[in-house]
Amino acid sequence: MSEKAPLGYQLNTTLGKSKLTLIKLFIDPILVLSILALLVFGLFVLYSASGQSTSMLQKQALYVVFGLVMMFFISRLDQTVYKSFLMHLFWIGLILLLWVLIFPAEGYKADRWIDLGFINFQPSEVLRLLLPLAAASYLTRGHRKLALKDWLITLSAIFLCSFLIYKQPDLGTALIVLASGCIPVLLAGFPLIILLVFLILIGATSPFIWANLSPYMQQRVITLFNPESDLLGAGWNISQSKTAIGSGGISGKGYLNGTQSQLDFVPEGHSDFIFSVIGEEFGFLGIFLLFLIYSLLLFRVFSIAFNSSTEFSRLAATSIGFIFLLYILINVSMTVGTLPVVGVPLPLISQGGTAIVIHLVAFGFVLSMKKRQTW
Amino acid sequence: MSEILNFGRENLAFKQLRKRSAFLFLLIALFGSITFFQIIKLTILDSNLYTTKSDENRIIRIPIYPSRGLIKLSNGEIVVENIVTQALTIVPNKTSDLELTLEELKQNLGLKDEELLTFKRKLSKTKYKYDSIVIVENLTKEQIARFSVEKEKWPSVSIKAQLMRFNLLGPIFSHVTGYVGLVSPEEIDESEDFSYPFTSQIGKTGVEKFYEGTLRGGEGFRTIEIDAYGKEVRELARFIPEQGKDIYLSLDKELQVLARNELAGRKGAVVALDPNTGLIKALVSSPDFSPNILNKTETGKVENILIDSQSPLFNRAISGNYPPASTLKPFIGLLGVKEKKINWTTTIEDQGFFQIDGKGRKYRGWKEDGHGTVNLSKSIIESSDVFFYHLATQLTVDSISNFLKQFGFGRKTGVDLSSETEGLLPDRKWKLGAIGESWFVGDTINISIGQGYISCSPLQLAVAVSSIATKGKVYRPRVVAKIEDQFTEKQVIYHLNQIEKSHWEKLENSMVSVISHWKGTAHNLTEFGQETIAGKTGTAQIKSLTDAELTVKEEYEDIRLEERNRDHALFVGYGPLPDPELTVVVIVENGESGSTVAAPIAQRLIDFYADRED
Repeated sequence: MSEKAPLGYQLNTTLGKSKLTLIKLFIDPILVLSILALLVFGLFVLYSASGQSTSMLQKQALYVVFGLVMMFFISRLDQTVYKSFLMHLFWIGLILLLWVLIFPAEGYKADRWIDLGFINFQPSEVLRLLLPLAAASYLTRGHRKLALKDWLITLSAIFLCSFLIYKQPDLGTALIVLASGCIPVLLAGFPLIILLVFLILIGATSPFIWANLSPYMQQRVITLFNPESDLLGAGWNISQSKTAIGSGGISGKGYLNGTQSQLDFVPEGHSDFIFSVIGEEFGFLGIFLLFLIYSLLLFRVFSIAFNSSTEFSRLAATSIGFIFLLYILINVSMTVGTLPVVGVPLPLISQGGTAIVIHLVAFGFVLSMKKRQTW
Repeated sequence: MSEILNFGRENLAFKQLRKRSAFLFLLIALFGSITFFQIIKLTILDSNLYTTKSDENRIIRIPIYPSRGLIKLSNGEIVVENIVTQALTIVPNKTSDLELTLEELKQNLGLKDEELLTFKRKLSKTKYKYDSIVIVENLTKEQIARFSVEKEKWPSVSIKAQLMRFNLLGPIFSHVTGYVGLVSPEEIDESEDFSYPFTSQIGKTGVEKFYEGTLRGGEGFRTIEIDAYGKEVRELARFIPEQGKDIYLSLDKELQVLARNELAGRKGAVVALDPNTGLIKALVSSPDFSPNILNKTETGKVENILIDSQSPLFNRAISGNYPPASTLKPFIGLLGVKEKKINWTTTIEDQGFFQIDGKGRKYRGWKEDGHGTVNLSKSIIESSDVFFYHLATQLTVDSISNFLKQFGFGRKTGVDLSSETEGLLPDRKWKLGAIGESWFVGDTINISIGQGYISCSPLQLAVAVSSIATKGKVYRPRVVAKIEDQFTEKQVIYHLNQIEKSHWEKLENSMVSVISHWKGTAHNLTEFGQETIAGKTGTAQIKSLTDAELTVKEEYEDIRLEERNRDHALFVGYGPLPDPELTVVVIVENGESGSTVAAPIAQRLIDFYADRED
C-alpha cells in the first residue's frame, strides 16, 4: 500500500470536483449544453439567413446573452419565491395587452408592440410564457381538489388574453397563446367531458366564427387548405419554403450556399421561415441533428418536471416542455406546409429578441425547479 | 390528517399529470409524424423536383440579339443603318391608373393625341401586359429632359434606348430595301429558328424581309442568376450570338436616281439589269415612299402612306401585273420562225384589220389603214398587229404558252425580293378553271399582241428581253451582289439553246431598227440617243378596242379623256450594242405612248450607263 494516492485517483477527484462545480453552476449540464448548442447553431444559421448581416447577428447575440443571464439568475431562485408572484404578474400582462390596443406604437402594421425607446417588445410574446405559468400557479395554489370555479376563472383569463391578442389583430399568436394557456389546464386534470362539449360547441359555431373573421385571417385559413390558390401572395411563402427544404436534399447545399435563402426567395428566412434555411443548407441530416438536440433538451425538461418536488413545479415545468414542443411542431409544420402560416418562430433559433429571452427565462424556471441534490 | 389527505390528493394529481402528459404527447407525436413524413418526402423522395424548382427560380436565360446587318451599296456607301433612339415605354400592369399616367405624360412631354391613340390600340391587342410596351418612339432631347426631372412620378414608365432602322437615302431605294416593322404574332409563330421578342422589329418588305435571317443574325443568350426581386446576381454562361451580316446591293445609285427622276412621280416602274449577270442596277417603282416613316425613325403619318390612292407601297416593278402588249411581239415572232410556221421573208398584206378565214369579227390593228406588205422584221419595226393575228392562227395556245414559259412568263423570276408576282400565262386549262370557258382562237389572237389574259411584271419582261441580248441565256435577277465578303453567285435560270443563232441576230436587228428605221415606232430616240440600242415599244390597252362599237375614232378619243383609261406606255430594250450591258424595261401607267413616253427613259438610262462606264 502506497501512502501516496495513485495519480489516477487524484485525477478522478479533480474531475469529480469540477463535475460537481459544473452541476452547481448549471444545475443541469445536459439541458444547459443543449440550449447553448441550439443558440450557437441558431446564430450561425441566422447569419446565413439574414443575408450575412452582422448587425442582425450582433443584435441577436445581445439578446442571447441577456436571456442567458436572465436564465442563470432565475435558475438560482427558489420556486416558493416566485410562485405566487407569477400568479399576480398575470395582471401586468393583461395591462400590457390593453396598452398596445389603446396606445399603438407608431410604425408597425399591427398593434403588437410596446416601444420603450431603448427596447421594444411584444406583450403577446410575454403572455405565451406568463399565461401558462400563472395558470399553473393558480391551479396549484390551494393544495385542494379543483372545483369548477377554478377552471372557469383560469379559462376566462386565458380566453380574455387570447381575445385581446386576436384584436391586435394577430390570429396566429392568439391561437398560440390560447393553446399555451390551455396546456396546464389540460395537464392539471380539466374534466374531459367539458372539453368534449366545448369542442362540439366550437364545431357547431365555426361557420359563424368564419363569417366574423377579417378577410386577412380568412385568407390565411384558405391558404392553409389550398396553398396553390394564392401563388403570389401567402401561398408563395409556403411554396418557396417547401422548394428550399426539398432542394436541400439529404445533405444540403452547404452553409451560406442555399440559393433559395441567399437570393431571398425564402420569405422571412431569418424569422418564421428559418427552418427552411436549415433544410436547404444542411439538408435532412441537419434537420435530423436539430431534432436530436431538441429531443435531448425536451427529455431533460420532462425529466426535471417529473422529478420535481412540488405539484406546482411539476405542472409548470411539464407545461413549459409541452409549449416548447408545440412551438417547434407548429413552426416546422408551417414551413413544410402541413399547417397554416402562423407567426411562430422556431424556438431558440429564429431572429427575435423577445422570443429568445422568454424561452431562456422559461428554462431558467425549469432549472430552478430541479430537485436539488445535497450539495 | 389533512396532510395525509393532501399527500393522497397530490399523488392523484401527479398520476393525472402523467396520464394527461402521455395523452398530450401522443397527440403531438401523431401530428408530428405527419410533419416528419412531409420532411422526408420533401428532402428525400421529391428532392429532385424541388431542386429543379429552385433552379428555375434563380436561373433565367436572357436572349442576346445581335444588331441588324447594314445594307450598303457595292462601293460601301451605307443605305440603311441602325440608329439609337430613345423610346418611352410603360409596363401596363405596373401602373395603378393607366389613364391618369398617360394624361400626365401627355401634359408633361407634350405627346400628341394620335400617338396615345395608336398606343392604346396597340395595348388592346397585346397580351403581354407585364412587359414594357413602347408609348412613343424617337423622344426629343427636350422630352427626355422633362421626363428625367419627374420620372419618380411614374414608376411604371421608363426610357429605353433601342436600335432602329434608318434609311440614309430616304425613298430612293425604298422598294428595294423595304422597311421594318413590329413583328406580328403570326410572324413569331412562324419563325422556327429564332424567337422574336414581341417588341422586336422584323423586315416587312424588300431586302429587309427577303434577307431577314441574314441581316438579323442568330440568337445568343446569357444564363444569369437572379434574386427574388429579379435583380441579376451573376452571370453563369454566355452564348455569343451570330452577328447580323452586312448586305451589298448591286444597284447603281446614280442610275437609280436618274430612273426615278425620269419617272418624276408618275405611276410606273423602271427595271434595269445587267443581262450578262442578272444583277439589277436600277429598280424603281413610282410613286415611292419614305421607308423611315414606316421604320419609325422619321416623323410622319404611316396612315397617309397606307391610304394614298397611288399606292406608293405597292412595288410595281416586281408585283405589278401589266399586259406586255406589243413588247411580246418579238417572242411570238421567234416562236413562229422556230416552229417554221413563217420565215423571215414571209409577208402578208396588212390592211388594218384581220378576220378569221376572211369573215366574221374584225380584229383591228392600231393603225387604221394598216402597214401594207409586212414581213416579220417590218411588223416588229412598225409594230403591225395584223401580221401577228395571222401568225396566231397558225399557232396553238399551248405552243405559245410553253414557249413563253421558257422566257419566264407565268412564273416567278426568283429575284431576291419578297412578294414577287408570277404574272399570268394563260392556257386552255387555266381559262376553263378561272373563266369557265373553253379557249377561242380570238384569245390566241389577243395573246399574240400581248393583250387579253396575259400579264407580267416589269421585272419578268426585263428577264425575258435579256434573253435576246444574251442570245438565249438568262440569269436569275438579283439585287444583292455581296453578303459580307461573299459574292452572290450568278445563276442561269434558263438557256434557250434550241433556237438558231441567226434567228437571234435577225430579231436583234429588227429591234435595233425599231429605233434606227425611219418608220420604226421608236425612231424619235435618234433625236438625242447616243448609243445603239435594241428595243420594242408597247402600248397596253386598258379599254378593249376590239369591240366593234369602239372602232370609231371619236369614241376612242373620248374614253382617253379620263386619265385612268389611258393606255400604259411600255418600252423594253437593251444596249449599248454590240455588247449590251443593260436591259431596261420602262412602264408608265396611263402614259399612252410607248415611243414618246417610255422609250426615251430607257435610251437615257443606257446612254448614261454606257457613257459613264467609258
